[in-house]
Formats: sequence, structure tokens, C-alpha cells
Amino acid sequence: MRLVGVSHPIQDARGKATGRARYAADMSLPHMTHVAMVFSTIPHGYVTAVDGSEALAVEGVYGVFHCFNTPEYCFNRYRSQYSQTLPLEEPVFAKRVRFVGDRVAAVAARDMETARRAAALVKVTYEELPCALTFEEALEGVNCLEGEEAVKDEFTVEVGEPPRADGLVEVTACTELGRLHHAAMEPHVCVADYDSDLDELTLYSPNQSVHGVRTVVADMLEMPYNRVRVVKTTMGGSFGSKQEWTVEPVAAAVARRLRRPVKLVYDRAEVMRSIVCRGPMRAEMTMRFHKDGLLASVELELLSDAGAYIANSADYARTLVGKMFRCYRIPYGRAHIRLVSSNTPVSGSFRGWSSPEVALMLEHGMEKAARALDMDPVQLRLKNVLLPGDTDPKSGVPIEEIRTRECLLRGAERFRWAERRREDAAFNASNDRFRRGTAVACAGHGNTYYPRYNDFASAEMRMCEDGSVQVEVSIHDHGCGTGAAFQMIVAEALELPLDKVRLKEADTAHTPFDFGCYASRGIFVVGRAAQLCARSLREEILKAAAHKLETTPDRLYFEGPAVRSEDDPAVSLSYQEVAWYSLGTLCRELTAQAKHTVDSNPGVTGTHFAQVEVDTWTGLTRVLDYLAVHDVGQSINPEMCAAQIQGAAQMGCGAALREEIEISPKGQGTCSLSKYHLMNAADLPLIQVELIQDGRSQDGPYGAKSVGEVSFAPAAPAAAAAVNQALGSDLGRIPMTPDRILEYIAKEGC
Amino acid sequence: MKLDFFVNDEAVSLETEPQRRLLDLLREDLGLTGTKEGCSEGECGACTVLLDGKAVHSCLTLAAQLQGRHVTTIEGLEKNGELDILQRCFVEEIAIQCGFCTTGMIMSAKALLLQNPNPTPKEIRTALSGNICRCSGYVQIVNAVSRAASEMGGGV
Ligand code: FES
Ligand code: FES
Repeated sequence: MRLVGVSHPIQDARGKATGRARYAADMSLPHMTHVAMVFSTIPHGYVTAVDGSEALAVEGVYGVFHCFNTPEYCFNRYRSQYSQTLPLEEPVFAKRVRFVGDRVAAVAARDMETARRAAALVKVTYEELPCALTFEEALEGVNCLEGEEAVKDEFTVEVGEPPRADGLVEVTACTELGRLHHAAMEPHVCVADYDSDLDELTLYSPNQSVHGVRTVVADMLEMPYNRVRVVKTTMGGSFGSKQEWTVEPVAAAVARRLRRPVKLVYDRAEVMRSIVCRGPMRAEMTMRFHKDGLLASVELELLSDAGAYIANSADYARTLVGKMFRCYRIPYGRAHIRLVSSNTPVSGSFRGWSSPEVALMLEHGMEKAARALDMDPVQLRLKNVLLPGDTDPKSGVPIEEIRTRECLLRGAERFRWAERRREDAAFNASNDRFRRGTAVACAGHGNTYYPRYNDFASAEMRMCEDGSVQVEVSIHDHGCGTGAAFQMIVAEALELPLDKVRLKEADTAHTPFDFGCYASRGIFVVGRAAQLCARSLREEILKAAAHKLETTPDRLYFEGPAVRSEDDPAVSLSYQEVAWYSLGTLCRELTAQAKHTVDSNPGVTGTHFAQVEVDTWTGLTRVLDYLAVHDVGQSINPEMCAAQIQGAAQMGCGAALREEIEISPKGQGTCSLSKYHLMNAADLPLIQVELIQDGRSQDGPYGAKSVGEVSFAPAAPAAAAAVNQALGSDLGRIPMTPDRILEYIAKEGC
Repeated sequence: MKLDFFVNDEAVSLETEPQRRLLDLLREDLGLTGTKEGCSEGECGACTVLLDGKAVHSCLTLAAQLQGRHVTTIEGLEKNGELDILQRCFVEEIAIQCGFCTTGMIMSAKALLLQNPNPTPKEIRTALSGNICRCSGYVQIVNAVSRAASEMGGGV
């Protein structure tokens, strides 16, 4: 292949390097107003009054909007498909506030600084209600009003036949996960433009599903879908945080009310406080093994906290059960799940959509099992990983080619597994302050949400008069170069140079319907549609060329960007000549349309190795070395794959060792990066990556599988296990902060 | 206050409040939106610009501190349509994903190379430790800065 599999800078790298790439916060429209929000300062209660008079007195303030002067617009932030029947649980402006950070009011003013100054002057009076901030309080239902249940959802899933208990080795791993902040560097933002003459609303935002936003906003405002246009803007990272709609409904409601464009930009504190987090989970996982290390059963007891609104949490928990079966052969699996709702930030989509969470639980169990069985952790995994030809027992879908085994073997060799573990032991024996541990973790994921829901994607293409190609697909680049990957896929199929293929991102006014770029379906599903579409454009080119040459398409072939003939070596028609002929003589534009309906979802996994050093005096941890080996199928843009995987390692090490939104006794969550510690360049070693590319998918373009989400799944488990290996501990409370490590050492020694 | 200072070598005169942030002057008043706001409190580095050749957080720098001084933003690096070596190396080394950290990262790297034209990878990592990139593991960023340094031949 000419382009696929060769590293390229992403499509907008130059604009991002010069600062010219336009993010939504950089936009400015004529007559635009700026909106700043007022958030609840209490965790639970009723808003009894909003006094905006002081704010309104500030010069340049156009309005203060809240539940007492605005129609009761309600929506469900998680809705992304028209057919989802989810409760409209969340109002644009809350009357009953459910967490510190719930939206109470919005102030519109001539510029952002004025809007923010005025927002600080809005006085809100509350009648407080009892609040639940912990699992215990939520389970007791202390925040429930009459008729409300403490447990919002409860279900059990069973897959396979329970094993006979005798002779099995049983381990139980207790894992508790804290709240995570996505920390996409670009804060949430929406620019809404309302044309009152046409009754048309245009929303510009970095979101993962333009059609999802349209569904929610159009229904909320009772507008026809074709009057609501949603344009996906350059996205400064998402990691799931821009998969749910929080700013778009607000900006839309205010723009329509004011009949002018508005810009709503959150700052970091507001994003952390109000937008979305990955909520806490408490898990007890019981795993049974045969004496030889073969897994017999996995049983999960899980308590999950949705936070203030249910949003995606019921679905997230169901997905988690499915993800349990994507890495190891599990003859019997059972999960009992309960969901509660506390008065804390709302839990939502997070990179990996429960694969990372269930991996933390499973890998914690695997570590304990390796100790209980006295087996090497790599060997134990080798015995149990899914193999080519296996079937996902939960979904019934074939795993196809899978290379976890190879990842383990290759990684163990490259990371000098056995030797390094011996070196760690020697280091630990000769040192009374620092302890080192080396660990491995595997995890699996998917490439689409099929077969949980039907999945399909469409693409359209047209060839311009000069032989260049314009592509219409609804892609939502999160910043990892989906645009470049699509250009490569299409240019490869059409044998064109990369710059002859152009595509813009999702825009409901122009690009075909699509569910959105989440569930790792971007390349695997939408990319496949683009590849198929390019193939049918090839046919169209051949048909037109055959007409011109008075032959049949099967006598023609492509070579470079030209059509050649089997019968006459002198024939070489450029795409431009074919396009002209088609337009001028056949009176037909060279266009193609394709649809790809998904009926597969192969196994895709990663195996990470981490070496971590723990300072037993301070509890501080340092990642000394890291290797990620991934089964990616054919990688489209290898260096970008590697960069994404390294980003996942950065995020996973942070999640395992330090990142946590903590909730104060008054319900205030951590809302500053000075207290939420992200990994910087000096904190990390050179993260090594190896791609294993021969486990190709049947249906992904050129055999590609997903990478962005799955790469995050094994990262935190590897770093966490390395700490436990270093200390000989069984810490299950994630993140393993210095305080928790010191507390453990004080209790158990090391 | 009346503020006279230089932005990317051009004299700029503004009537403004002394406590306004340099970040807002750049983005709102001058339309220089290449400088980004990621945290508003000096923690992420997305807003980094040069003030008299030194990297500063424009979210923490106030108008009152700017009289007569020289500010360089990302928009000031490209000369006659040609990218600065650092910008080009960031593109070519695939050091750019979502790009939200990129302009601040490049400005911090610029300040580093002005002071230390031949940094080791470790020195690069330390110099960039105030710039958060959530998308990557910093590997390509460090490579880009190393390569820019060597292409500049140790001189900026
Ligand atoms: S915005 Fe200035 S350091 Fe983050
Ligand atoms: S490229 Fe996204 S934060 Fe660095």
C-alpha cells in the first residue's frame, strides 16, 4: 500500500502549529453576545429565588435567565439517537438543584469578561434538602424525595454454566475507582446562531455527534430537524467528555430567546465542576481457577454511582458486563449490578466506555490469582487469553483474528520481563526506602456497538472537474487525525495523491446521517463506508472511461491517477479527462454513494507493561519504564496510533496513581488542575509502543481495528499492578495516591 | 489605563483596565486566538507567550505589567508564510493531535531554545513540564524540539 500504513501528519497539523486552526472559542459572529453561567453552590435543594437585578445593572448586560423566567426546557444529555426513549431528566436551568455545579442561571452580555463579572452578582436563594455524597448515603436514599428509590437500576447478567466448585482456587479482588476528569485541554464551548426570520438555529461545537446534538436540541425547542444545523468544530480533545450534551442545549435556548448569536465558553473550574466525570465504582470480583491456572468463572458484584443525573450510567454498566468477555476466555460469568444517584458531578462517557473499568477489576483479580496459584503473571494470562477463532460468549459475535498472545510474548521479551522482575527483587532487597515493581495488564474492547444496537454508516463522494475528490462523511475528529486517516483510506482506494482528497467534518446540513464518533466506530465503521464509497467511485470512473474508449470496464485498470487499457499500452486517461468526458458528453457528474451495515465486531486488545518505583517514605510513585503492545489490525497512520497509545499510557498512569476528583463534605468537587494532577513531560519515561499488525479485521478498512479507546484500557491496570508488585500489597483503591500508599505502609509495613 | 506595548514586533496602543489579563487582550481585543485558555490559573501552559523573550502564562499576566514590553505570540513565529523551524518540526514529527496544547508548547519550547540551544531530552521534558498535553505521552513533542534544536545548529 502506498499511503495506508505510512505515517503522515494529521490534516490540520499546520493550522494547529500556526494557531490559525479555528476552535469554537475562537469564533466570533456579528452581533454576538457572550454567556456566563451561574451554578448551584449547594449539593441538593430547591432554588426559591434568583435575583438578577445587580447583574442587570452592569453596563453591557443583556439578560439574566433562570428557571423563573425561561420555559422549562428539559433534555437528556446522553440521548444521541432519535429512537432512544430516555427520560428528560435534566432542565436547562434547574429548579431542584442536584449537585454543586448544577446550572441555575445564565447571564448574557456584550463580552465574556462583563458576562462573568455580572454572573458573580446574581443572588440565588435555596431551600436545602438532605444530600447524599457517598455510596452509603446514596444507598440509604437520604437524598430521595417521596416516591424516589435509592437504587436506580439493578440487574443480573449470566453467561455460561457455573463450574463445579471442587478443586478450584478462588480469589476475590476488591477494587474501588474514584472520579476521573477527562481533562481534554479544550474546555467545553458552543456558539449558537439563531436566525429569527428563517427560524433556523445553527450550533457550532466540538461534539462527537452532530446528529445526536440535533436530536436533543430540536426536540427540546420543538423545532423541525431541518431547521437545526449542527456543525462539528475543531476539537481540542474529548476522551468522551464531548459525547454528551451540556453546553449545546443552553446556548441554543439563550440564542433563541435573545434572537442573536451567543457564545458560551466554560472555564476549567466550570468544566470540572459542572460538565461530566467518570463516576465512582465499587467492585468485588470473585474469580475461580483450575489448579493449572485455567479460568473457570468470574463473578462481579458492582455498585456504581451515576452522580446527580442518570445520564448514560445505566447503559454504561450494561456495557461493562459485555466488556468483561473481550480479553479472556471466561466459561462462566455473572454480574450483579446496582446503580445509585448521589449529589455529585454527573458520571458519563469516558474513553473506553467501561473497558478500562472492568479491566482494572479483572486485572486486579489476575494479579491476586497469579500469587495464589504461584504462577508468573504473563504465563497465567497466556493460558487464558482469547484466541483466533473464538467467539465472544456474551454477544455471540466472532472474535476473528486476535493477537493478545503475541502481544504478551513480544512484550515480555522486549520489556525483559523475567530479568527485570529479578532486578526489581534484588533492588528491593538492597534498599530500604524505594521499592520497584514490574507488572503487565491486558484488556480488550470493541470497534462498534454492534450487536448491542444496529450500526451503519454512509459516505458520498464526487469527483471535481480536475480529477480531485470531495468526500462527505460525518466524521468527528477528536484531535487524533481521523480526517487524515480518512484522506489516506480514500486516496489509497482511488490511487490518488493525498492532497487530491478533501473532506470536511460532520455538519448536519451537508454530511450524511451518522450516529457519531464514539464506541471506537470512527475508522472501523465510518472508515469502511468511505473505503466502499471510493471503490464505487472507481467503478464510475471506469464506466465513463470505457464509454470514451469504446471498450468495456473490465479491459481497463488504474495505474497512478490514470486509467490504462489492457489492450493498448498507449492509452492513459487522466482522472481529469474522464471527469470532463463524463460531465461534457455523458452529462453526468462522477459521484458515488455507499453504505456499510455492520455485522462484525472483532476482538481488539492491548497489553501494557509498566515498571513503577514507590518511595515508601513519601508515598510518591514514579513510572520508570513503560511498554504498550497493541493488536491493531492494519494501522492506518502508524505514528498517530503510537501517539494515541502513548497518550493513553499517560492518562492511565495518571488514573492509577494520582488523578481524582474528590468531593468535600459540602459536596464541592475538585475543580482546579492545581489539585488534579495530570502527568507532565517530566513525570513520564519514554513510553514505548509496538504495533502488531497481522491480526486484521475482516470488515475494517484494509483490516484496521480500533485503537483510541482500547489503548486506555490496560494502562491504569498495569501501573496499579506495578505498585502492588513493588509493595507486595493488595491495594484496590484507585488512584493509589501517596496518602493511600502511606496509610497502607503504616498498617501493613512493606 | 493607556497601554503601549509591542505584540509580535508591532507597536500596539490600547485603552484598557490595568487588571485585564494579557490572554484577553490578545484573544478578545487583538483577535490573536492562537493563544489558548485551558485552565486560567497557570497550570496547563496552553496560554504561554513570550514576554521579552521569556515564557509566561498570559492568563496570569496583567495589562499593568506590559507597558513598553515585547510580547511574542504563536502568530509572530511564522515569517513570510514560512513556518518557524519549531512549528515545522512539530508538524513533521507528528507532535500535534488535538492541537490545543500545541501553540503554548511551541512557545515554551521557543523560550527554552532561546536560553539553551542544545537541550538534552531530559532538559526538554523539564522545560515543558508546565505544559500539559492530554493527547500524547510527550514523545513526539520531545522529538520535535530536539530536532528543531539540531536543525537550528545549536543557535536560534
Ligand atoms: S490557561 Fe494559562 S496556564 Fe492554563
Ligand atoms: S495535542 Fe491535545 S492536548 Fe496536546
